[in-house]
Amino acid sequence: MKTQKKRKWNKYLTAGLFMTGFALLLGIVGIFWTPYSTTAMSAAEKFDAPSLRHLFGTDNFGRDIFSRVMEGMGTTVVISSLVVLFSGTFGILLGALTGYFGGLLDEIVMRVTDAVNGFPSILLTLVIISILGSGRQNVILSLGIVFIPSYIRIVRSEFIRLRDADYIMRARLMGAGRMRILFVHILPNIFSVFWVSVMIGFNNAILAESGMSYLGIGVQPPDASLGKMLSDAQGYLQTAPWYALAPGLAIVWVVLGFALFGEGIRRQKVD
Amino acid sequence: MIRIEDLSVSFGDTEAVKHVSLDLADGEILGVVGESGSGKSVTALTLMGLVSDSARITSGRVLFDDVTLREAGKPCDKALYRTYQGAGMSMVFQEPMTSLNPTKRVGGQVEETLRLHTKMTPGERRECVLEAFRSVGLQNAEKVYASYPHQLSGGMRQRVMIAMAVILHPRLIVADEPTTALDVTIQNQIIGLLREINQKQNNAMLFITHDLNLARKLCSRIAVMKDGEVVESGETESIFEHPAEAYTKRLIEAVPSRMKRKGTIASGEGTKDKTPILKVKDLSVFYKDGNNSLFARKKRQCVVAGADFVLYEGESLGLVGESGCGKTSLSRAILGMNREVDGKIIHATKYPQMIFQDPYGSLNPSKTIGWLLMEPLRARAALDPSWSMTRGEMEEAACDMLRKVGMSDKFFHRKPSQLSGGQRQRVSIGQALITHPALIVADEPVSALDVTIQAQIMELMRKLQREMKLSYLFISHDINVVYQMCDRIMVMKDGRIIEIGETEEIFAHPKEEYTKLLLGNS
Repeated sequence: MKTQKKRKWNKYLTAGLFMTGFALLLGIVGIFWTPYSTTAMSAAEKFDAPSLRHLFGTDNFGRDIFSRVMEGMGTTVVISSLVVLFSGTFGILLGALTGYFGGLLDEIVMRVTDAVNGFPSILLTLVIISILGSGRQNVILSLGIVFIPSYIRIVRSEFIRLRDADYIMRARLMGAGRMRILFVHILPNIFSVFWVSVMIGFNNAILAESGMSYLGIGVQPPDASLGKMLSDAQGYLQTAPWYALAPGLAIVWVVLGFALFGEGIRRQKVD
Repeated sequence: MIRIEDLSVSFGDTEAVKHVSLDLADGEILGVVGESGSGKSVTALTLMGLVSDSARITSGRVLFDDVTLREAGKPCDKALYRTYQGAGMSMVFQEPMTSLNPTKRVGGQVEETLRLHTKMTPGERRECVLEAFRSVGLQNAEKVYASYPHQLSGGMRQRVMIAMAVILHPRLIVADEPTTALDVTIQNQIIGLLREINQKQNNAMLFITHDLNLARKLCSRIAVMKDGEVVESGETESIFEHPAEAYTKRLIEAVPSRMKRKGTIASGEGTKDKTPILKVKDLSVFYKDGNNSLFARKKRQCVVAGADFVLYEGESLGLVGESGCGKTSLSRAILGMNREVDGKIIHATKYPQMIFQDPYGSLNPSKTIGWLLMEPLRARAALDPSWSMTRGEMEEAACDMLRKVGMSDKFFHRKPSQLSGGQRQRVSIGQALITHPALIVADEPVSALDVTIQAQIMELMRKLQREMKLSYLFISHDINVVYQMCDRIMVMKDGRIIEIGETEEIFAHPKEEYTKLLLGNS
């Protein structure tokens, strides 16, 4: 049935794009340039409240919090992107193969993902980190592995839904190769569903990375990360609330932005 | 009794129903005939007070015994409607699968109408439901009463729906395509049942259908709708004999019928000196039970047994049978999509192609029409280097094919979602034919289309058969369509081919009882 709203400008998408765009810009700029050096300490400027000189104030070492949020944002976004890229790629590959072919491979992969899902994810990353040691790459690797199952499930169920579609049967009839059917004929049709899960996954990655840094098994000092800053700020919540508020709000901003973005994409597809 | 005066209904900017006036007396059956999108269902739903809230009545009114049920500019008075719904008027829907609640026993569902509208005791209600079940021809009413919908066949479910609709002896029954989802033999039983109820209870009936033949059988008067307007209405026979409007004429002509057969190419010549293109010898097709679990024992179920036939070059061979008789399984086996077979399938050519039933499911929605038409060429080139072409040549071939199936080049960059059902089916045919296969399996290629489109697609298939020397294995449940298209016919029942012969011969002298039943029903 036709309704009157014909491709109305999607407010979710606009808001999501604005918020994520702003955060990404801040993060990317933060990799190359920050207003103050993120490591420059100044005993005279300890715990300065937010002012025009220091937008978000300063921390216990007199470092500029705004600069550190910028750097932390960069670290967080880069790590989360790589985590999503890693887990998404493996998720698509394994999900496509298991969903389309089924059989023994499907059975094995699904039981393994069940096992991975059985552990609390933070525990599993802890195990992997303690085996591999901490550090950026290992954070990405461990979170990537933990996130693969969720993508496998989504991709697999879409492939199962589409593998018996008439147009896929036709592709088989015309003699298209298996890999071509998987990745040229079926894959584009699952993207709308997949994108939403990528957005959700991105959010989860940001939160997980922050959580790991908070526990001290994430990015190591002197690198800044939003979660690390939160955990450092913990002790000064009474005296310098802005110290915790700044990275906390930054996390909320990014996560909300991506959630809106994902919702926007979903609605765009539905309309 | 019922009067619809100058009714117009719009959804947003689009007007679905435009100035429709209909009236209906007690005991009368009025047929509303039209193609999809003609506004016939919206008219009925408005009459019943079931149209969605986004619809606006822009003009006219609906009267039931001189009581105004719905008027232009006023919102739907749900309380007023509720006094009529069920007791005064009721509805039979198209899809008996979804109009019954799958989690409740059907007896209870029918009883609910009684609980809402009468003061009967539970015992009386049960008796009343059983009585209604018997009156709609459900044998073993007690057992049906205690069944869940999934335990009943489609025909039985539709009978339950009808029982639910007539149990309070409403004065108006609206039947929206009540037989469309059913097999032909069941279809006729349901039509007979509706007629019987109409005679017994003397209620008025509004029968909505896209099938002119059905309307002719059941209705005393007919209104033909097109684009939301009633283009013609009158006594059934006078409309069929002397249609006044060009559209009505076209509609009547488009209905495949045995009266006016259009010759097929191979007619006249014997089949003896022809080259076989497909030989099927003692073929049995099996179906593995769907349980995909690692430890489940796989059971094989036989769906086609001992099929034995030959398809000759340039011939159209029809395959007729009801749903579940194995015709699709047979076609999948022939195409090599199901390898669970015994017996022999000998192809004289490589790469047979298929035309599918559902034009909405057979085109990949994420691709453009041009891409879809070129893909078979790419796939073939990968298998057979002699087919490799440059991009320009492929585009040329795709455009050629578009023109051949009666569409212009401008569709090249469009997506399937921008096309109508008929246009999609044309693209689908083009996709099957672009690699010049000799054998085409057409699985109900016109069943999902409107009658006028149906006629166009059948014409196109005939034209392409002449031009490209195709052989068709033409599968259909509609024996009239098969009559129009095919030189020879196979009749299939319960997985076996029970009769095979020349079209004329089968129609004139059917040997099997079942074939006679199929013929008699259409």
